[in-house]
Amino acid sequence: MIRIDHVSKSYDGGATNAVRDLTLEIQSGEIFGLLGPNGAGKSTLLNMLAGVLAPSSGVIELDGVNVATDPLAAKRNLCYVSDSPDHLLRLKGHEFLRFIADVYEVPDAVRGPRIAELAREYGMEGELDNQIQSYSHGMRQKMMIMGALLPDPAVWILDEPMTGLDPKASWLLKQSMRRHADAGKTVLFSTHVLDVAEKVVDRVGVIAHGELLFVGTVDEMREHFKSNGSLEEMFLELTSDESPLAAEAE
Amino acid sequence: MARAAAASQGLSWRQFRVMLRVIRKGEQHLDSTGMGLGDDVAEKRKGLWGRLGAGARKVAMGFLFLLLAAMFFMMGYMLGEAGVTPYLAFSLCVVCLVGLTVLTGLYQAVNILYFVRDLGYYLTLPVSATTVMWAKLVHFLGMSLLGDLIILPIGLGSLLAAGAAPGAWVAMALAFVLSAVAVNLALVIVCVPIMRFSRLAHDKDRFSRLFGGLIVVLALVIGVGSQFALQGDGLASLASGSGQLLSGGVPAVVMGILCPPSLLGRPVIEGDLPAALGGLLGMLACVAVYAVVLSAVARRWYFEGVQALQGAGGKRGRRVEGAELAQATRTRGAFAANLSRDWKTMVRVPVFFNQFVLSSLLMPLYFVVIMVVSGMVGVSQASDAGIEPMALLEMARSLTALLAFDSPALAWCAVGVLVFGLFLGFSAYSFTMGVSRDGEDFFFMRGLPMNWSAYLAAKFVAPFALSTVPMLVLIVVALVVLGVPAAPGAYLVGIYLGATVTLGLLSLGLGALFPRLAWDNEAQLVKGGGATLMVFAGLLVGVAVMALPALALLAGALWEVLAMPVALGLALAVFVAECAVLAWWVLGPCARSLSRRER
Repeated sequence: MIRIDHVSKSYDGGATNAVRDLTLEIQSGEIFGLLGPNGAGKSTLLNMLAGVLAPSSGVIELDGVNVATDPLAAKRNLCYVSDSPDHLLRLKGHEFLRFIADVYEVPDAVRGPRIAELAREYGMEGELDNQIQSYSHGMRQKMMIMGALLPDPAVWILDEPMTGLDPKASWLLKQSMRRHADAGKTVLFSTHVLDVAEKVVDRVGVIAHGELLFVGTVDEMREHFKSNGSLEEMFLELTSDESPLAAEAE
Repeated sequence: MARAAAASQGLSWRQFRVMLRVIRKGEQHLDSTGMGLGDDVAEKRKGLWGRLGAGARKVAMGFLFLLLAAMFFMMGYMLGEAGVTPYLAFSLCVVCLVGLTVLTGLYQAVNILYFVRDLGYYLTLPVSATTVMWAKLVHFLGMSLLGDLIILPIGLGSLLAAGAAPGAWVAMALAFVLSAVAVNLALVIVCVPIMRFSRLAHDKDRFSRLFGGLIVVLALVIGVGSQFALQGDGLASLASGSGQLLSGGVPAVVMGILCPPSLLGRPVIEGDLPAALGGLLGMLACVAVYAVVLSAVARRWYFEGVQALQGAGGKRGRRVEGAELAQATRTRGAFAANLSRDWKTMVRVPVFFNQFVLSSLLMPLYFVVIMVVSGMVGVSQASDAGIEPMALLEMARSLTALLAFDSPALAWCAVGVLVFGLFLGFSAYSFTMGVSRDGEDFFFMRGLPMNWSAYLAAKFVAPFALSTVPMLVLIVVALVVLGVPAAPGAYLVGIYLGATVTLGLLSLGLGALFPRLAWDNEAQLVKGGGATLMVFAGLLVGVAVMALPALALLAGALWEVLAMPVALGLALAVFVAECAVLAWWVLGPCARSLSRRER
C-alpha cells in the first residue's frame, strides 16, 4: 500500500511549488494511473515516492515504511522506472541486470531463471551481451523494465513506462501489472496515453499544477462529469485553464 | 540538373552566418577524449560549481594561458640571448605548431566537424554541406588558433632579445597566424576523406581511445623530453634543427605540404619591407588555395561522411544464455557490485580511460624513464670523471645503509617522500571525480536500495589501485636497488601509503560532498577551467593532510625539539589517525550526504 499524507515539494526556497499538499492512498492489489499534462508534478511525485526527492513537508509510506526515515527498507520494497531509460549505458545488458540483482540482494537461485525468463518475454535474449548504449530507445526502456521487474518487490512505480515500447512489450507490461496487482501488490504508473489508462487502471488520479484534481474509477469520473465522452475529453476538460478545479488549484 | 545540384551545395553567406551563430551558441559535442576543443555551453551549472561560476573558470584558464605564454616568451628571449636568430626561433615555433597540430589536431577537427550530437539534425535542414562545414570550420579555427597562439611568444621573445622594430613583431605574428590557419586547413583537407572512407573513424569509441591514448603518450613524451631539452643548449639545438628542417630536402617538402607558409618565413622575418610584404602575400595566397581545395573536398564528401557516421559504431555481442548467463549474473556483495560497475564504466568511456586509467598507468613509466635517462647521464658524466658506475651505486648504498630511526637522514628521506606525495596531489582528482563520473546515473542509483558506504569504498579502491599501487611497486624496487635497510624502508613505504591514502580519502570525500553531476558528455568533467582548478585543488588537499606529519618530521630533523625516534613515530601516528578519521568521515557523513542528494 502507498500512503501519501499532505505531501508538498517546493523548489527555489518555496518560490516554485511542484506538488502542493497532496494526500492519496493506493491500496494493495490496485493499479493506479496518474494522469496529468506536462509539468503537472507527476514525475516529482513519483520521484518522492522512490526516495530520489525528499518532500518539503508531509509523509510518504510504502507498506507502512516511511520513505524519509527508513529509505533503504522502503526502496527494497519498491522498484522504480523513471521517465528516461538512458542509465548505465556502458554496461552490457546482463551486467546491468546483475548489478540490479546485487543491489536488491536477489538470490542466485531466483535471479538466473528470472533474467532468462524476462529476456525471453521481452525479446532481449540476443542483446544481453551488448552495451546498453547500442540499444534503441525502446530496447533501453525494455531493459529498465526488466531491471525493475527482476527483484519483484511489492510496489511498482513506473513513470511513463509504455513510452517507446513496441506493442508486444507494452502488452506484456500491462499483463505483468495486472498479475502483480492480482497477487495483492501495488502498481502506480503515470501516463500520457489515456487509452492505456482507461484499459488498465483500477483507479485514476488526475494531477495538474501540483494538486490532485480527481481520484476515482473511470466510471466515477464519467459519473462525476455526467459525460459519455472519452476519457481524453474528460481529461482535457478537467485540466483546462477554464476548469473550476484547475482554478481552485491556482 | 547536375549544375543546379552543385550550386545547391555551394556556400551561402546568409546561411553561413546563421549556422555559425547556432554552432557557437548551442551545439552539443560528443568529445569523448576530453581533449577536443568543444566548449561547455550545454553544461548545467549547479551547486559549488555553479557558485564558482564560468567567470572564475575563465580567469583560471586565462591565468594558466598567460603563465605558459610568459614562460615561452622568456624561453624565446633566452634563445635570442644565446645567439639564436628570430628566423630560427620562428622556425621552431612553426615546427612545434605543425607537430602539435598533426598529432592532436586531427582528433580536434573530427570532434568539431563530426562528433556533434546536432549533426543529424543539420542533415534535415535545407543548408548545403559547404555552408555547414565552413561554419563549423571557422568555429574550429577560432578555438584552435587561440591554442596555437601560445607557441608564438617563443618567436616574440627572440625579437625582444634582438631589439627588433615593431614592424618585425607584426610581421612575425601575421606569418604565424597564416601558418596556423594553413596547417589547420591542410589537416581538415585530410580529415574529410578519412571520415568518409575510414571504418575506424566510424567507431567513435575506438577512434577516441586511439587518439586519446596517443595524446596522453605524447604529453608524457613531451614531459620527459622537456626535462632534457631545457638543459644546456638543447633548446638552441632544437631551434637550429627546425631551421634546417625548413631549408630543403624531403622534410621541407613535407612541411611545405602541411604548412606552405612555413617555407616563406625567411623573407618575412629577415627580409626588408618589400620582401616581407611579398612573403606575407605569398602566405595569404597559399591559405586561399587551401581554402578553395577544402571547399571542393567538403562539397564532395563532408555530408557523405556525416551520413556514414549516423548510427555507426554499435558493436554486437554474443548470445548469452543458460549456464553462461547464470555464471555471468552470479551474486556479489554491494562493494564488489559497485567496484565492478565503476571499473567497467571507467575503462569503457574513452575520456575516463585516457584520463584516469591510461595516464595513471603511464605515470610510473614516466618516472622510470626519467630515472633511467638521468642515471645514464650520471653514469656517462661519472665515466668522464673516471668513476666506475658500480662505484657510484656502492657510494649511494653506503649512504642509504646509514638510514636508521635515530638519524635525521631518515626524517629527511620521509620529508622527500611527502614532497613526492604532494606532487602526486596533481592526480588526486581521480578520487575527487569519483562520484562526479556517474553524472545522471547517480540519480538512477538514488532510486535503488544502495549501500552508499560500499559505493564510496568502491570509488576509493579503483583510483587507489591505479595510481598508488604501481608507484608503490616502483618505490619498493628503488629502495631495494639502493640497499635501504628493511625497517627504515618499510617506514618510508608506510609514510608514502599514509600520504596517498589520506590524500585519496580527503579528495574522495570532498568530491562526494560537492559532486559535479550535471554534465552532458564525459569530457566536460576533465577539461576546461573547472577541471584545472580541481587539479590545483589537489595540491591544497595534499598540503592539508601532509602538514602535521611534515611538522613532526621537521621538529626532529630541523628544529631538534623532538628526539628522532619520537618525531618519526609521531609522523606515522598522525597519518594513521588521519586515515582513521577520514575513513570514518567518508563512509559515514559523506555517504549519508549522497543518500540525500537531489538534483
